[in-house]
Amino acid sequence: MSATSSSLREEYGANVAALASALEAGDEERFCDELDTLVRRREPALFSELRKLTSDLQAALDRFTLDPRLLTLAEKEVPDARHRLDHVLKLTDEAAHRTLDLVEKSAPLAERTAREAEEIVELWKRFRARNIAVEDFRRMIERIDQFLPSTRADMEQVRSNLSEVLLAQGFQDLTGQIIRGVMQLVAELEQALTSLVRISRAEQGAQTQSESSGSLQRGFGPTIPGVDNGPAVSDQQDVDALLSGLGV
Amino acid sequence: MSKDLKFLVVDDFSTMRRIIKNLLNDLGYANVTEADDGQTALPMLQSGNFDFLITDWNMPGMPGLELLKAVRADPKLAKLPVLMLTAEAKREQIIEAAQAGVNGYIIKPFTAATLKEKIDKILEQRASAA
Repeated sequence: MSATSSSLREEYGANVAALASALEAGDEERFCDELDTLVRRREPALFSELRKLTSDLQAALDRFTLDPRLLTLAEKEVPDARHRLDHVLKLTDEAAHRTLDLVEKSAPLAERTAREAEEIVELWKRFRARNIAVEDFRRMIERIDQFLPSTRADMEQVRSNLSEVLLAQGFQDLTGQIIRGVMQLVAELEQALTSLVRISRAEQGAQTQSESSGSLQRGFGPTIPGVDNGPAVSDQQDVDALLSGLGV
Repeated sequence: MSKDLKFLVVDDFSTMRRIIKNLLNDLGYANVTEADDGQTALPMLQSGNFDFLITDWNMPGMPGLELLKAVRADPKLAKLPVLMLTAEAKREQIIEAAQAGVNGYIIKPFTAATLKEKIDKILEQRASAA
């Protein structure tokens, strides 16, 4: 007989025998009593296991919440990132519409110029071939009189529209900076999650990076409505006022 | 004469460099060179006889503020007009740029008129100081 089975027999033998004999006798009351005694014997061990599990869980939770970087990530930066991406959506939408508006405004001007020039070209060809009636000649001169100033005005408008199209492309820089910021956040989040997985495997504790302190030097990127990075100017007039106060 | 000025435009986004270059051309400045960050720009400035620097702030490698400081620290470049054209809009940053010796500061998004106004203002100040 092994040591284990002899200690088992010592601990539970009497109970089990009593339980068996109660069952044999069909004595329900005695059977239940003996069963209760047996279960109670097991409870302390169960409770101590449960206590151990609870304290492990508590320790793991403590480690989660003690990581302040993770807290800022979850509570501030991830919601901020949503705002940032919303803003990207808004900027790209605005730039696309601005560009389309300007194209739609410019196309008719260019078309009109081409059409009017074509009408004059026909008359002009006849004039150059010395094959034009006086009536047509007069008509040609009138057309040219109208054509030159209106073309100048139209093309100036087209030129200015093109300049605005050019400026509207600035969205790529602004949204690019914001997207880069969010990509950096995603990378950090990935790192934090990897650390969490490591903790949950009860291995080495989390290693987190402290927030980069060089933002002021490196730059924060564009101001985003709803994302507060500290006091910022709201437009060029603000900048001018601030600088003139500083003597620049 | 002043239209012969040699410009260096520093921005990490090529789209923005093209925009600024086109706007400068519209203003009559045809001599425009580009660089994609401070590290590339500084040696170009040191060897290139530039008359005007327009730089972004937030760039990988060397940011615009560092470039500005490096320019002011170099006796050959110390007097070069520097216009910052950036999305950085925090008050403390603008103050820091002013203290580092920036000549003008434009925040993105900007207009062609603002760019012209700031360049003209800086050139006028140069002319009256000379």
